[in-house]
Amino acid sequence: MNPITPIINGMAITFKHMFLKPVTLQYPTERPKVAARFRGLHALNVSHDKAKCVACYLCPTVCPAKCITVEAGEDANHDKFATVYEIDMLRCIFCGYCVEACPVDAVRMTGEFELANYDRKDFIYSKERLLEKK
Amino acid sequence: MVNLTIDDKQVTAPKTATIYDAAKLNGIKIPILCHDKKLKPFGACRMCLVEVEQMKGRQIPACTTPVTEGMIIRTSTPDIVKARKMVLELLLLNHPLDCPVCDKSGDCDLQNLTYEYKVNSNRFKDEKFNHEIDYNNPLIERDMNRCVLCGKCARICDEIVSFGALTFIDRGIETKIGCEFDDALNCEFCGSCISVCPVGSLLARPFKHKARFWALTKHTSVCGYCGTGCNLTLGVKDNKVLTTIYDENQGFHKGQLCVRGRFGYQFINSTKRLTTPLVKKNNRLVEASWDEALEIVAARLKGGSDVAALATARLTNEELALFKKLLLEDVGTKNFDHAAGYAHAALTEGFARSFGTSASSATIPDIQKSDFLLVIKTDAYETHPVVGFEINMAVKNNGVKLSILSDKKGKLSKLPDAVTLVHRPGSEVAVLNAIAKIILDEKLADGSAEAIPGFAELGQALAAFDADTVATQSGLAAADIKKLAAGYAAADKGLILFPVGQAYAGHTADLASAAANLALLTGNYGKEGCGVLCLSEKNNSQGAVDMGFYAQDGGLNGLQILEACTNGGVKTLFIAGENPLTSYPDRNKVKAALEAVEFLVVSELFLTETAAMADVVLPVCSFAEKEGTFTSTDRRVQFFKPAIRKGAQIRTDFEVFSGLVKCLGGQAPASPAALFGEIAAVTPGYQGLSHVSLRKDGAFAAVSMTPAFVVPKAVAPVAAEQGKLALVIGSALYHSGTLSQYGEGPMHVCQEGYIEVSRSDAAAGKITENDLVTVSSASGSIQLKAKVSLRIPAGVAFAPYHFSNTPVTAIWAGQPVTMVTVSK
Ligand code: SF4
Ligand code: SF4
Ligand code: SF4
Ligand code: SF4
Ligand code: SF4
Ligand code: FES
Repeated sequence: MNPITPIINGMAITFKHMFLKPVTLQYPTERPKVAARFRGLHALNVSHDKAKCVACYLCPTVCPAKCITVEAGEDANHDKFATVYEIDMLRCIFCGYCVEACPVDAVRMTGEFELANYDRKDFIYSKERLLEKK
Repeated sequence: MVNLTIDDKQVTAPKTATIYDAAKLNGIKIPILCHDKKLKPFGACRMCLVEVEQMKGRQIPACTTPVTEGMIIRTSTPDIVKARKMVLELLLLNHPLDCPVCDKSGDCDLQNLTYEYKVNSNRFKDEKFNHEIDYNNPLIERDMNRCVLCGKCARICDEIVSFGALTFIDRGIETKIGCEFDDALNCEFCGSCISVCPVGSLLARPFKHKARFWALTKHTSVCGYCGTGCNLTLGVKDNKVLTTIYDENQGFHKGQLCVRGRFGYQFINSTKRLTTPLVKKNNRLVEASWDEALEIVAARLKGGSDVAALATARLTNEELALFKKLLLEDVGTKNFDHAAGYAHAALTEGFARSFGTSASSATIPDIQKSDFLLVIKTDAYETHPVVGFEINMAVKNNGVKLSILSDKKGKLSKLPDAVTLVHRPGSEVAVLNAIAKIILDEKLADGSAEAIPGFAELGQALAAFDADTVATQSGLAAADIKKLAAGYAAADKGLILFPVGQAYAGHTADLASAAANLALLTGNYGKEGCGVLCLSEKNNSQGAVDMGFYAQDGGLNGLQILEACTNGGVKTLFIAGENPLTSYPDRNKVKAALEAVEFLVVSELFLTETAAMADVVLPVCSFAEKEGTFTSTDRRVQFFKPAIRKGAQIRTDFEVFSGLVKCLGGQAPASPAALFGEIAAVTPGYQGLSHVSLRKDGAFAAVSMTPAFVVPKAVAPVAAEQGKLALVIGSALYHSGTLSQYGEGPMHVCQEGYIEVSRSDAAAGKITENDLVTVSSASGSIQLKAKVSLRIPAGVAFAPYHFSNTPVTAIWAGQPVTMVTVSK
């Protein structure tokens, strides 16, 4: 083969792509389409104006990264609720086991993936922050 | 033994076994829900169904069916599995889906069986129960919606605890477990019902939602309250003791505990714990470093016999031995003691002279093997509740005869056929002497008695104690005393029990000798099921005696030390873990002594009233943070390890004493284990014991006896005075010493001192339940809540010590009986 042929072929491909739709996403001006089953930042589900979580401790038990902290308390009606619900996002491996383990469908994972932050402590998501994502 | 076939396996089992027992014995698992090895077979749940070929393949419960020769049993045919599944379906029909919020989850028999039998749907439909849940009880939460009606709670409360608080109430589908008239639960709060409940119907309220069962690390330990020496399993999470966990295989008591053991653990992680050494500067206790504190203490310990020490019998054997070594060898003083100097006299003087050994001649397991029990003071139940359970079981299951000699009735008096002789307070020694005389006079004595030294003298010395005289003195009928004497003498195996403790000033060496005489006369010692068991108060009271931590060779005893503090004979006082202001008689005197002494060091868990008066306070560890051995009242030596890490600025008493030994230029032992090696070499009965050998179960230290008759001196009865009551001090069931004040559980149900008076005295003084009354004696007066009680005879009153908020030591100067006036 003439040594020049591959170069010409390559140039042809390059030239062709100048007229095709680009595959790169112009993030952050362009947003990716997040699939419904994507496992991003957690959110605590709410029902009757209260977090659904009953502090059963199954998610901290199943979590392979041991990044969930739950502490249970008793409310005025003697119902069990989570006085503390915290996830350390620096350790989370986004496996979704917590969602699967929850017996009352209290925790889900959202499409939120922009989790960068300046401070380590900001990666600890408290119950309030997790509840905000309604 | 009978031969039978279980699942095609040829096995043998004892004649008395049920099918369930036989299978278990041979490693075949049959699921159970309502059966408990400690309780009588009941057969309520039908989980344990098996097929027996001889019964034409009918399904029968394994837990209630006795084995017979040649039985052919199948435990898991498809039919049986189907039947069990249906049992579970029917149970789950009304059972709420509470697992996520139920504290039993993870340790729940129903949950485990449902999982094991894969019951994930239900063919039936019904409504769930809607019983009211009892959230108000501070210790036991009752949610009958979860109940599977196995009856274990009601049965244990009846068969072992013998309280009978719970029972089935209502009928048919409405049946539930409740108290009489469906009232609130007000019982001993031993928590036995919680421990056996297979589901989450009965739960420990103090542990509510604290942690999941699987998240707890289980640490075995030894209870730090009374001398029974129960084993505990502590549930620990994040370096905190959150609960006690039931283990039916633990200890002689099979996991049974009393209210203090089960619910009194909160002192370990109390926020009131001392966290750093304190040193008095400008009349205020300020934080200091260990080096500074120890230096100050060491400098003051150079005073030789100017130094004295009082320890609590809650320290380990190793700590007491080291403390003694520090005092004897490095400080050079013989002035040290424990238990106020008198509460150990029954052992150190009484048994020492009567049996030639300062230990009891019986063990707790002997109780169930005996056939005649003589309990001196019903308080034995309150001071040692788990020993009380043994007595309950002996009487109810083994038909052991129970006689009680006491100044008031008590729970033990309610046992079937129990005979209680209620005598005038303070006359127990005279009554025991009278019994000895009757045994001698009526020739009921055992042939072996004559050979025991002192036999002849005993006969003469007892002349004054003829039944009629003693009967008039003690307020008993002579016939009753004679009957008791005849009963005890006729018994094959007679066992005498009596409690001692700082509150029982009348339970002296003489009482011990008087009881010992009876055992020696009738040959009731040195054999199984026989002897005299002195129930010593604290978890290591017997250990403190074995370590020799009491006044000997001319050293000052507990009360003398305080006197010497007042008159300047003692200049430095080291108090390790004791709170004499509340636990030693005569509060004013104790206070004067602590104020007078030049230098006071207190090592404590809490800033008690005594510690608040100290010049240096050293924060030390609870039993859960250290290792060592405790010797129980029947001389079972038990080893325990730390369950949690101690605080950064907290040291064990062992480390404190080692530090002081070093400061004084001595040689401190390397570790508690090393010191225990030395202890074992020199302590009679401890030979061959080591931390390693005790690691699993603990062992009894052997007791060798050289009996002798001693004539016990009976105190003259306190003359009755018009308008006054004879006050006896003692222990309350919910408390032990002064430590349980820091356990939240006991404080939930008994927060303060009280005075129990009889109905007639209450009526005469127009006193009703819970009235605040003023109790005055020659030494002072105090306000206490009144309890009107049927068990107290007229003219007598009872008050527990324990409480710093209502210290009866203010009115009690150490007499066995104090005459008081009670007025509103
Ligand atoms: S996604 Fe996985 S790692 Fe992250 S919190 Fe849930 S269980 Fe833990
Ligand atoms: S599994 Fe669900 S209910 Fe349980 S603690 Fe986690 S979020 Fe709460
Ligand atoms: S706590 Fe003890 S006394 Fe009270 S109901 Fe339960 S078993 Fe009975
Ligand atoms: S409360 Fe518990 S122990 Fe009592 S009957 Fe119900 S399930 Fe059994
Ligand atoms: S206080 Fe005594 S009886 Fe109660 S659990 Fe502890 S050792 Fe046992
Ligand atoms: S365990 Fe046998 S019937 Fe319940």
